[in-house]
Amino acid sequence: MQIKMREVAATATSPSMGEYMKSIGIIANPASGKDIRRLVAHATIIDNNEKVNIVKRIILSAQELGVKEIYIMPDTFNIGFKARDDLASARQLAVKVYILDMQITASLKDTIRATEILQQLDVGCIISLGGDGTNRAIAKALQQTPLLPISTGTNNVYPDVIEGTVAGIAAAVAASEIFDLKDICIKNKRIEILNEGGLLDIALVDAVICNETFVGARAVWSCETISDIIVTKSRPNAIGFSSVPGYIDVIEESDDFGGWVKLGHPGETVVAPIAPGVVRPVPVKSMFRLELDRPYRHCAKQNSMIALDGEREIPLKKSCTVDFVVTRNGPYQLNVEKTLRAALKTKFFRKVCI
Amino acid sequence: MNLSQELLASMYRKMMKIRKFEQRVSELFAQGMVPGFVHLYIGEEATAVGVCENLKDTDYITSTHRGHGHLIAKGGELKYMMAELFGRKTGYCKGKGGSMHIADAKIGILGANGIVGAGLPISVGSGLSARMRGTDQVTVCFFGDGASNQGTFHEAMNMASIWRLPVIFVCENNLYGISMRQDRHQAIADISDRAQAYGFPGITVDGNDVLAVYEVAHEAVKRAREGAGPTLIECKTYRWRGHFEGDPTTYRAKEELEEWMAKDPIPRFARYLEENGYASRKELEEIERSVESEVQQAIDFAEKSDLPDEADAVTDVYSDLVEEGRAR
Ligand SMILES: Cc1ncc(C[n+]2csc(CCOP(=O)(O)OP(=O)(O)O)c2C)c(N)n1
Ligand SMILES: [Mg+2]
Repeated sequence: MQIKMREVAATATSPSMGEYMKSIGIIANPASGKDIRRLVAHATIIDNNEKVNIVKRIILSAQELGVKEIYIMPDTFNIGFKARDDLASARQLAVKVYILDMQITASLKDTIRATEILQQLDVGCIISLGGDGTNRAIAKALQQTPLLPISTGTNNVYPDVIEGTVAGIAAAVAASEIFDLKDICIKNKRIEILNEGGLLDIALVDAVICNETFVGARAVWSCETISDIIVTKSRPNAIGFSSVPGYIDVIEESDDFGGWVKLGHPGETVVAPIAPGVVRPVPVKSMFRLELDRPYRHCAKQNSMIALDGEREIPLKKSCTVDFVVTRNGPYQLNVEKTLRAALKTKFFRKVCI
Repeated sequence: MNLSQELLASMYRKMMKIRKFEQRVSELFAQGMVPGFVHLYIGEEATAVGVCENLKDTDYITSTHRGHGHLIAKGGELKYMMAELFGRKTGYCKGKGGSMHIADAKIGILGANGIVGAGLPISVGSGLSARMRGTDQVTVCFFGDGASNQGTFHEAMNMASIWRLPVIFVCENNLYGISMRQDRHQAIADISDRAQAYGFPGITVDGNDVLAVYEVAHEAVKRAREGAGPTLIECKTYRWRGHFEGDPTTYRAKEELEEWMAKDPIPRFARYLEENGYASRKELEEIERSVESEVQQAIDFAEKSDLPDEADAVTDVYSDLVEEGRAR
């Protein structure tokens, strides 16, 4: 596969679909939605054949809106190949679909690598199919390209449940580059975890400190071992640990602050949905707001673990210190509704019939 | 989940026991000491141990042609296993079964099995028996990615689900059925997806991470004991040796093997134990040495044991009932 960098063509004053259009990229994580939470929390099951279907619907709508090229990350289930073959066999494929030429490691490294390649290819929008974990990996490598996350995972706070067909349309609008990113996207916050000044890792929604010592099955579904919850946003309608502060103080993505909740006694008990199907009383000692860009230090009192967006990731040794900083360095997340409404105003969807 | 030091040490010892046992069997096979076929479990130790550490002696397992790891993890005795491999009188099957027939009903080992997929219906029968007797026993059924294409797999999953039996299906997806790579023998990548068709949970887990396997199996066993029904756990892993000893493995790339050897479950677990202060390097080496000597003792026991008598060639082959029927 050759990497093409296309020049930005001048946009017409009264733009309509099918004029200049960038390509779009798709990252579909074949491993999302298969973890232990199906056992402990009756979590959603979206199998990989459904991901193939979603990708097909994205392709069909994007091509109808004038997208000419679509790039897809390769994966162990061959989601991209299957979607392309199925549409070609049904004689419904009008767009060029390329599967990125990269080695598959069957880990989150693939997602990070694909994000880098898609940016080199200068795609106009990346659509992701996965959960919070998938998007966290994308966010590690993503710069300016808008991201449209479709939820196919379990415990998702970051991606939304969006119909693939609609996602394809919105991605095409973004790829037309008619609209300013700030009008159709929200620039996400993120939590940066620093160790001696160096960036250890990031979280898009929540970082949780728990008294576990191993990564194991990754998910965290009980609050007994949790001491701290750090969030970029908190809403009562969220699922997962960010719902705990969400029942105390709502923090929106647009707010220029984050939150930190300390669990334990004495304090109040908040009933919150900490995992799908798991609504529990959570003892809250205190909650305070975190200023943007300001580091807040944590010193581990015992060997413990930091879970990022719901998955155990970073082991912390006793007396080790890390800093948590909420920044505005997250992805440009495409707001589907805003994007479609903006396009509507410019008559983007009208074709002239003679 | 926090695990006791004792449990962690036991997991390490068992993984090491399987590794050392299999390495010696490989050598002994090459020297012509082990008749018949052997299929070794090296590289997959974390799966058997992570699962079986959740079981009691009264729980059951069904095993496969690649069964040494399952048997050791469930508490099988090395000396009787080794004697069986050597074809000696003192072996688990009095030397008549060899590697693929080892069983020890006293500790719930319902048997290795040379017929691919044959353990699956047995596990359903065992689950049904526990249900009918009203006990809280669970049955773990080990099988491979290749076996997941057998009719028995689908029949077992179906019956276990309609009867909500206390069975945990553990699929060891080691990427190959003999020389056939998974992507050429089935159109799905995650075998856990198949549970959905039968209406119970399917989970995919890193089969080379003993703690991850332990955690998932822990929840599945709990679910089975509480009467909530079966679970399918797919453990992604890899066999280092050929399909059988002597297999030239021309069907797979050297790089693939190297990649998986770098994911060796044993040093990975050792690192965790050391870094978290559960064991020192010295203590781990001590475990390794004591396991080596245990395996050596098993070999000595096998070597010193007699071969079965000629007169016994037809005993224990068929049940007495069959024999009686014949006589009539
Ligand atoms: C019913 C049956 N068919 C075929 C065979 C021959 N055979 C022995 S092992 C094997 C492959 C099994 O593959 P898998 O289930 O993935 O187990 P693995 O060897 O990888 O552990 C086959 C086909 C057999 N023993 N039984
Ligand atoms: Mg196999």
